[in-house]
Amino acid sequence: MKILRAVLPLVLLAAACGTGAPQEAATGTVTGTSLTWAIETQPVTLNPHQWAQNKARLLVFNQFDALIARDKTGNFVPWLAKSWQVSPDHLTYTFELRDDVTFHDGTKFDAAAVKANLDQFGKADYNAVVKAIQLRNLERTEVLSPTSVRLTLKNPDALLLDFLASPYGGQVSPKSLQNAKDLKAGGPDLVGTGPFVLEAFVPGQEIRYRRNDAYAWPPATAAHQGPAHLSTLTYRILPTASVRVGALTSGQVQVVEGVPATEIPLIKADPELTFASELNTGTSFTYYFNVSRAPFDDKRVRQAFREAVDVDKVLASVYQGSASRAWSLVGSRSPFYDASLEKSYGGDTAKANALLDEAGWTARDAEGFRTKDGRRLTVRTVAAAPFVRDRRDVLAQAIQAQVKQSAGIDFQVKIVDAGTATKAVEDNEYELFENSRGDSDVGAALNLILPAKGAINRTRRDDPELDAWLVEASTTSDPARRKELYLKVQQRVVTEEAIVLPVYQPADQIAAHRSVGGLGFDPSSGTPGSAYDVRIGT
Amino acid sequence: MWAAATASWLALLVAPGDVTSILLGDGADTPEIRAAIAREWGLDQPQIVQYLSYLARLLQGDLGRSYTLQQGVGDLLAGQLGPTVELMLAATATGIVLALLLAVATAGRGRWLRGAVSGVQLAWVSVPPFLVGILLLFVFSFTLGWFPVSGARDTSALVLPALTLGLPIAGSLGQVLREGLERAQEQPFAVTARARGLTESALVVRHTLRHASLPAVTLAGMLTGSLLGGAIITESLYGRPGLGQLTLTAVTSQDLPVMMAIVILAAALYVLISTVLDLLYRIIDPRLRSA
Repeated sequence: MKILRAVLPLVLLAAACGTGAPQEAATGTVTGTSLTWAIETQPVTLNPHQWAQNKARLLVFNQFDALIARDKTGNFVPWLAKSWQVSPDHLTYTFELRDDVTFHDGTKFDAAAVKANLDQFGKADYNAVVKAIQLRNLERTEVLSPTSVRLTLKNPDALLLDFLASPYGGQVSPKSLQNAKDLKAGGPDLVGTGPFVLEAFVPGQEIRYRRNDAYAWPPATAAHQGPAHLSTLTYRILPTASVRVGALTSGQVQVVEGVPATEIPLIKADPELTFASELNTGTSFTYYFNVSRAPFDDKRVRQAFREAVDVDKVLASVYQGSASRAWSLVGSRSPFYDASLEKSYGGDTAKANALLDEAGWTARDAEGFRTKDGRRLTVRTVAAAPFVRDRRDVLAQAIQAQVKQSAGIDFQVKIVDAGTATKAVEDNEYELFENSRGDSDVGAALNLILPAKGAINRTRRDDPELDAWLVEASTTSDPARRKELYLKVQQRVVTEEAIVLPVYQPADQIAAHRSVGGLGFDPSSGTPGSAYDVRIGT
Repeated sequence: MWAAATASWLALLVAPGDVTSILLGDGADTPEIRAAIAREWGLDQPQIVQYLSYLARLLQGDLGRSYTLQQGVGDLLAGQLGPTVELMLAATATGIVLALLLAVATAGRGRWLRGAVSGVQLAWVSVPPFLVGILLLFVFSFTLGWFPVSGARDTSALVLPALTLGLPIAGSLGQVLREGLERAQEQPFAVTARARGLTESALVVRHTLRHASLPAVTLAGMLTGSLLGGAIITESLYGRPGLGQLTLTAVTSQDLPVMMAIVILAAALYVLISTVLDLLYRIIDPRLRSA
């Protein structure tokens, strides 16, 4: 009876203001729920235009909305833009905007706001990378009417829509772009139109949001309409994996992201917890061979290295079977993935040794490593410690042991500070470069890694034909033609030239208490999605 | 402090890799982007100009802006200083109280008890704080649920981090205190005091503790100064805000303005601690007062 008496006024109250919260009444979700979510990585910035961490992507679309979103099949769907038209020459894009959207600071979202956001990237000292890479083809942005905006390009750009659907495309209130105290760091005074309002960011501890009760403009990919289910939302920063899992199992947080392989069986066995995992988009975690210097200037040595590694065995021992093997540098979720590469190479020790003999690495030194003209067959990878994640150091050590035993290759793994790593690259003092990228359109990543003038071309390879394919693939918007070109690219770098050893496909994991529903992954990236659809109870 | 600032500036000058490359991270890198970033941060100026303009701004109380976090360094430090000072004070207090209790309880007692406590203290000193922290979390937070894992919201969240940082202090300090006590108990004045009929506990409280605490105070001061290092691990483990995490990210990304500010702050901390120590010596040892 006591409970009933306590609840009754609440029910009456809810009925009285039922018009204010029709969504909750309809779905039966309890209002006033809050959720705590432990995350691994502290955001460097909360300004979406400055976003640079895939691990912080799950925060962006709580606070901000983009013009368009990407669904799981890779198609673009409406969000703040109701529709858009592309001119036949692919040089002008016209967006029709929703007219019912307001920023958290009360200002209206309109075509002028879209222009202000894009113009902001054109400013000096704001985001030099986006200006030079993603928006290099943008000529101008024009306001046609309050709900209509036109983008004019210098050259066709197949990646423009992908950019607009990315965190960079998060729409920031023009007023706060003017007034924010620390514009590039973001914070509660840099506001968007998203389902949650940022309340506080306590570095090293947490990021707190409260619901935007006026929210009525989710993307077409969302599972519900109206305001978010949760009234408050806290992301707690816990960099240590076992601490995150402990906080979950002891009920101190309801959701965690970033579950290490060693903890997965424990979580799966717990009936109170749920677990989900998703492959990321972009490129696989790949070893790129530096072809500008010995020994990887010889294709046979590159092939031999790939044959000397039993990738399946290494992954099984390092990740206990939770990692999925990569066969191409293009991730298998991409529409451009070349499945014919699967099982086409690798793991043949006899072949590795035959190739190395043929390449002249026939002698052995006292430690059992192969030598040629008195020089040891040494290959070095130099990785910056801040970028080493997913136990990639342990993975490299496992490969190190394998190639030594199977083919007499001296693989040296150097995990160093950022300065030393960049210096090694500048001085060309490395043979292997390890990298994965989370771009939602893999073309954006390939444009950085593969062309001779690519911003992160660490293979140091110059192949004009390959460059031409890549240029065409990122200017044509015909998906079939793009696929055709990217298949050729993969055949060239994986099979014909063997300049890469794809290792595994990065993935994200979410574990949660079973009472939490609506958790999912962002279809455009494979990283955990925003908390918009998340609810407690069913 | 000027010497500390200059020395660390020089150290960073010879550190490998230039700041522009590090700011670019493992992302896109073209000459235009490089030039834009270098211009933005004044990195295209000669080193001596950068150094002098830094000193000039420092004299006006301007610590500059963080390269990676894009905020004023003064604001960043102000936001993170409080929780770290709180943690360091709590850890020092925990360490001193534990050390005192154990030293007084075991000084001059049976070999068995002494050996056991000494062994435990040795473990506190030698086990890495990361492991201690994880163990404490598993027992008191995840299993017993007495204390929350993270944050600096209330006192209960301070208990485990303070213990993690305070145990090594208690370990080494306790050993020194006990040895000091035992040495003092064999001094002629102790024999005299006992002969006057003073009980053993009164002897400790009134006389020998005072003697034993001189070297211990010196050690406590040094340990408190070195807490900043331990704070890095503790803060990240418990998800606490503070200077430790700020230092770690600044060092790995060669965020020069933040690192310089932390070095200056650490130098100031040492000056403060040695001043406090001098005052404490005078209180403890009356001979110094007349000098």
